[in-house]
Amino acid sequence: MTGLVVRRLLQLPVILLVIYTLTLLLAWAIPGNPLENPEGRRPSAEVQEALKRQYNLDSFPRFYLSYLSSATGVSYAADWLSGDLAAEREEAEALGVAPPRRAVFDLGPSLQYNDWTVNEIVAGAMPVSVSLGLVAVLLALGLGVGAGVAGAVRPNSLIDLLTLVVALVGISLPSFVVGTLLLLALGVLVPALPVGGWGTLDRMVLPAVTLSLPFAAYIARLTRIGLVEAMTADYVRTARAKGLSERAVLVNHALKNAFLPVLSYLGPATALAVTGSFVVEKVFVVPGMGQHFVNAVLNKDLFLIMGVVLIFATLLVLMNLLVDVLYRWIDPRIE
Amino acid sequence: MIKLLAPVIVLAALVAAVTLTDEPVPEADFTFINRGDVKTLDPQRMSWLQDLRIARLLYEPLVRLDVLHEDYPPIPGVARHWSVSDDGRTYTFFLRDDAAWSNGEPVTADHFVYAWRRGMLPDLGADYQTFFLLVEGAGDWAAWRSAATTRFAAESPGLAAPERRRRAEALWRETLERFDESVAMRAVGDRTLEITLEVPTPYFLDICGFISLCPVYEPVVSRYERVDPTTGLLKQELGWTKPGVCVTNGPFRLAKWRFKREMFFEKNEHWWAADTVALDTIAVPSIEDPNAAVLAFETGSVDWVSDVTVDYRIELARKKRELYEEHAGLVAELRATGKDVFAIDAALPDDPRKNFHVLPTFGTYWYNFNCQPRLPDGRANPFHDARVRRAFAMTVDKRSLVDEVLRVGNPVARTIVPPGSVAGYDAPRGLGCVSDAETDAEREAIVACARGLLADAGYADPGSFPTVDILFNKDAGHDLTAQAIAKNWQEHLGVSVTLAVKEIKVYADDLKNSNFMISRAGWFGDYADPTTFLDLNATGNGNNDRKYSSPEYDGLLAQAAAEPDPARRLDILEEAERLAVETDLPLIPLYHYVTPYLFDPDVVTGINPHPRATQDLYLVDILTDTKGPNRLLEIRSGDDYEKGLLPAASAGVAAARERSE
Repeated sequence: MTGLVVRRLLQLPVILLVIYTLTLLLAWAIPGNPLENPEGRRPSAEVQEALKRQYNLDSFPRFYLSYLSSATGVSYAADWLSGDLAAEREEAEALGVAPPRRAVFDLGPSLQYNDWTVNEIVAGAMPVSVSLGLVAVLLALGLGVGAGVAGAVRPNSLIDLLTLVVALVGISLPSFVVGTLLLLALGVLVPALPVGGWGTLDRMVLPAVTLSLPFAAYIARLTRIGLVEAMTADYVRTARAKGLSERAVLVNHALKNAFLPVLSYLGPATALAVTGSFVVEKVFVVPGMGQHFVNAVLNKDLFLIMGVVLIFATLLVLMNLLVDVLYRWIDPRIE
Repeated sequence: MIKLLAPVIVLAALVAAVTLTDEPVPEADFTFINRGDVKTLDPQRMSWLQDLRIARLLYEPLVRLDVLHEDYPPIPGVARHWSVSDDGRTYTFFLRDDAAWSNGEPVTADHFVYAWRRGMLPDLGADYQTFFLLVEGAGDWAAWRSAATTRFAAESPGLAAPERRRRAEALWRETLERFDESVAMRAVGDRTLEITLEVPTPYFLDICGFISLCPVYEPVVSRYERVDPTTGLLKQELGWTKPGVCVTNGPFRLAKWRFKREMFFEKNEHWWAADTVALDTIAVPSIEDPNAAVLAFETGSVDWVSDVTVDYRIELARKKRELYEEHAGLVAELRATGKDVFAIDAALPDDPRKNFHVLPTFGTYWYNFNCQPRLPDGRANPFHDARVRRAFAMTVDKRSLVDEVLRVGNPVARTIVPPGSVAGYDAPRGLGCVSDAETDAEREAIVACARGLLADAGYADPGSFPTVDILFNKDAGHDLTAQAIAKNWQEHLGVSVTLAVKEIKVYADDLKNSNFMISRAGWFGDYADPTTFLDLNATGNGNNDRKYSSPEYDGLLAQAAAEPDPARRLDILEEAERLAVETDLPLIPLYHYVTPYLFDPDVVTGINPHPRATQDLYLVDILTDTKGPNRLLEIRSGDDYEKGLLPAASAGVAAARERSE
């Protein structure tokens, strides 16, 4: 187990470097000038040049290296070791100016939102997306496993058919349809819940339900298929022969095995859910991460693109690792 | 089973922890949805409408515009009064003694010099740098600085780090010395500011009311400046625009700002006219989705939606027209008394239909012609010939475009400067188009005339005309407009038209590089003078994407700039616009922009319907609460400046009036 964790953690930097390189190549190739407001006034050529120099946007290799070293903490460590950091602080104190705000992992300034760093943007959006995503995953787990079990207990019954239909609808309907319908029903027609915003539990209900439905549908199908298969397995017959109640057979024996595919799905699903959904965030005015994936690219906000992609990649790798660890913990046979 | 449940319990605990540490947007006296998220609160760097609108709450310039007057005349701001030299080049502003920052410190003339120097400095990248460059010597100084830093960047890689740092700092000191020597803007004591302009600029006072020219609090802002030893540029560190750090001199102060969440403002008790402000708090939640914005208004959590972009705004506009038709008599009566549109709406019976307001704006939507002899791909450009441009302009059915495609109530545009938007300026008539025809015969005559122009230009056979390419970006319904116009040209001129739809960033690049045949474009005026539009067609102007170049047009602009008599000057500018919109047509004006607002005129007052759409939201009063005088604020006219709202400073107003007469 320890070997696995160490091996995976050692792979992480390599994976991230590949993702970083590919993403930056693509992002750099996006046409357009990130420093220009397409609907605004055009700064003069000299001003544009000065800005490009300031952000290293005039040279790909320079940008590649400088961003890599500041995002990974290398430049912070170097400045710390060389004493530059301390010198900078002392100098600032002597001059009576604010000491430079240096983050260890500095993801750079946002080019679109001039007053914010990517670190600040992520620090504001991440807790929102993580809590919404986790609630959605929990809901999906409850709904999905419940529906899956209900269907599997009596295969091809009316209940099974019903859960199949609901699951198919859940997978097929895009969340802007589900979200808008929920909003209309529970926010406007029967004003039971707030129509948007963030910060209280009741505001979380509608976006969390909307976000959870496709995951729930998928989990329901996985559970149902796994469970139907498990129910015909030899160990289930043995369990029944021992005289165990149907409930005990289902929960302690069949479900435990049927749950493994669900668990392996949960890793990437959680990574996906906690990094936000553009559509759900837009419909319910949730200040999460999802919007930045889309807007950063549309605005060619290079620092923000790289920041959110690196964070998503790290999360995805760590989530998969976590799932593998859980897998072994639940089912020690797996090596 | 415990093993299965353990992860679930951990997840639930995490969620609880995160949720319990969050909080929703606090309630405020006035809540509105801005046009988009604020990009920056640094006044010198801003250019987006939403940023400028917020900055008007936080900062106060030398003069303000009386936005509740139909002419937006300049009235005293931080300057209590001012004088202008006889040659119209030197302005002396006398600052009020009680102008204070939100921390209680006095606002001094030095703070203006510091802020304007930031605006001129190429390192900062101010979008409105041109406004600051009106000051004598500023343009040369900025050009010198650009050249010096470019040289520095070329030399610096060969230097050792300490030497680089030393040189960068020396260059910055030299820059400051040169500024003091050569830029004609100085503080005489704490309260007097003397500014000499490069050339007399009749609209300079109006520009002084522009928010980018506000002072910033030097003791804080300068702490966030650093000379970058690699590039030699002055680098502005982030952080000084955040609550708790940001010091401002306007009616409100920034109490809270969470990215993509909300902004929250509290009344600034140190502002010299704080006792005239009816609101104590203002909240600006960040709601980007147009439907969510309207929903927030309808459920009562928002008082004003400042830009209604939902698709069904067409429906809202139609319902508003119906309401006006139902009360046609009352509306006509109120209009005859000279009441403004919001006052009329307030006088109508209570009805949700009256909350939607479509207001003409100080902006024009048009189609650019590429006027260069050759197209980007090297082919001969048919639109180099003004006759061809005229023929195309005449055959656009602007009326149907506005009534059948847009359907929100945009005025048809015949000119670039929206008529009636600049006091004292009479717009030319403009070239007619097919929708001006009242009968079929007239229509056919216009089409025949257009075809004749094409024949004169050598295209008697429409089949020989190259395929026309229309460039536009994919957002905001530009595609529908392009389809309608393409159909007009195919039908009336017999030419074939293709549509080139691009992402906005690509479109913007193509526009800047004149990489198009015909393209969609538009412009909002920045200050109360026709040149805010007309300069765009001057040879060499950075925004002349059409690459239109006419010695006659340039000559008229130069002649106007040298004309000391304001009325005569406007006549010359009218002549220039006539040349552009009746003869040369570097662009086809299609319609003037409108801004749709959503607010209940029985609840909110203090918002004005002027085309320039400058809203000073500290004037807002909620009529249904217990704060403020709770009486409807109507738009005034004539000599009725700043009545009752703010203590008049007669010298300043008189000087302003003198200049405008």
